[in-house]
Amino acid sequence: MANHAAVIGVGQVKYQTQRDDVSIAGLVREAAQNALDDAQLEWSDIDAVVIGKAPDMFEGHMMPELYLADALCATNKPILRVHTAGSVGGSTAIVAASHVQSGVFERVLTVAYEKQSESNAMWALSSKQPFATHLNAGAGGFFAPLIREYIQRSNAPAEVGMQVAVKDRLHALRNPLAHLHMPDIDLATVEASPMLWEPLRFLESCPSSDGACAMIIGSERAAAASPKKPAWIRGTAMRSEPTNFAGREQVNPQAGIDCAKDVYRQAGIQNPRKDLDTAEIYVPFSWYEPMWLENLGFCDIGEGWKLTLEGATSLPEGGDIPWNCSGGVLSTNPIGASGMIRFAEAAQQVRGLAGDYQVEGTQLALGHAYGGGAQFFSMWVVGAEKQ
Amino acid sequence: MTDTLNELPPLTQDFELGFTYTRSLGPVLSRFLTGLRDGQVLAARTRAGTLLVPPPEFEPVSGASIKELEPVAAEGTVLSWCWVSQPSSSAPLNKPFAWVLVRFEGCDGAMLHALAADAKEQVHTGMRVRVRWAPERVGNVKDIACFEVHKQ
Repeated sequence: MANHAAVIGVGQVKYQTQRDDVSIAGLVREAAQNALDDAQLEWSDIDAVVIGKAPDMFEGHMMPELYLADALCATNKPILRVHTAGSVGGSTAIVAASHVQSGVFERVLTVAYEKQSESNAMWALSSKQPFATHLNAGAGGFFAPLIREYIQRSNAPAEVGMQVAVKDRLHALRNPLAHLHMPDIDLATVEASPMLWEPLRFLESCPSSDGACAMIIGSERAAAASPKKPAWIRGTAMRSEPTNFAGREQVNPQAGIDCAKDVYRQAGIQNPRKDLDTAEIYVPFSWYEPMWLENLGFCDIGEGWKLTLEGATSLPEGGDIPWNCSGGVLSTNPIGASGMIRFAEAAQQVRGLAGDYQVEGTQLALGHAYGGGAQFFSMWVVGAEKQ
Repeated sequence: MTDTLNELPPLTQDFELGFTYTRSLGPVLSRFLTGLRDGQVLAARTRAGTLLVPPPEFEPVSGASIKELEPVAAEGTVLSWCWVSQPSSSAPLNKPFAWVLVRFEGCDGAMLHALAADAKEQVHTGMRVRVRWAPERVGNVKDIACFEVHKQ
């Protein structure tokens, strides 16, 4: 039986297109310092550091965990780097949690980041390979055919994706740290934006952001000594599957289904829509909201888009299961950090610290991240109560 | 007829991969390299009172942010060295030279750079060297063209 662990500090930065006033070390440091301040701890209180980011090729730093050790005060401490593509922010948090759940460490700093303004994520994602034709597609080009398949199977109306794009940007207006603040966003604006990868329009896609997110994860004793309310980690799960194999169900990946079942079992969740109060789900392209609603068991297969259209996932519309109240990946996307932001925002909701996008009385929240070709999944459930 | 897998040599193909990136240095390193452009060597003062060239952004021992830089003389002492008798085309000097670790005057720690010397016999640990500035400086560590023997 694992020991209890809790999020006792959260630190983020103002996400924006470009942070050319700081180095990557300075950016990571800023988030980590904010997390320490939130937990009212000093650098010397930290026993270990777990860091995550997207592939090295994105920013051209080989083994950035070595270069960043100074900035994270990891001298004479263990520092470990986690790497699972877009889901890395989530899996990094899970590795940090397991450091504490193991009983070996009292307080662990975990941080994830991306400086997209200085990176080459688009082309590093779809590099030429010998003996193969070059699909110069990027992430949107990879996921668009899966979205088309979803639309065909579910007969979802075309406006579903656009509605998600509007909803998450309206949520972002409540979050001062969100990258995109678009007060005039509406369906017509989204519809008028350029078609990038049919059926995905420009405004149905995530932005490119600079940013970092950090958390302090502490033991039961550390949580008891913490000045602010902790977010108890009630379950963690990761699953993976290969990008391609004959017969792979890419629209509704088995790894996602299994990962959700595992984390729900740990947290005692029978009906996710009813038992969870809110969720921060990795939705980088609008249509992934209805797709993940189904994959994560919030509704039956083919029904996800109905929840979106009914406003079930909208905070201002009073939906019963608001998703991505912080604005989500559609409003802020420093790739390597995006998963950790989901996990951290879920924690802020159960801590009651989500400000203007707080879902009142949140007891249980889900944080979710996916990566690669929708093949890596990481999830956690955090609660206001220990068990 | 069965096709066997060992009748032909396995195929290989070369490929080249390259991307363009940007680097932002932040306040400490930007100030240090701007100093080099202006012909000035700047050192980081740590909480413990030590002086470091080149300056780190964060103190390696305490982890504190570096808050101030101060000028030091553009000369120092060789802590260690390695003679390069056959420089490659990418070497900083096009004739035999030494890689040296230089501790700047009054500083702690050291900086790795090239030392111009006529012969290996000229180089030794503890020798005095000084900066040879590049004729055109832009705010880059190469603004120090190399070090040279400093005869006092």
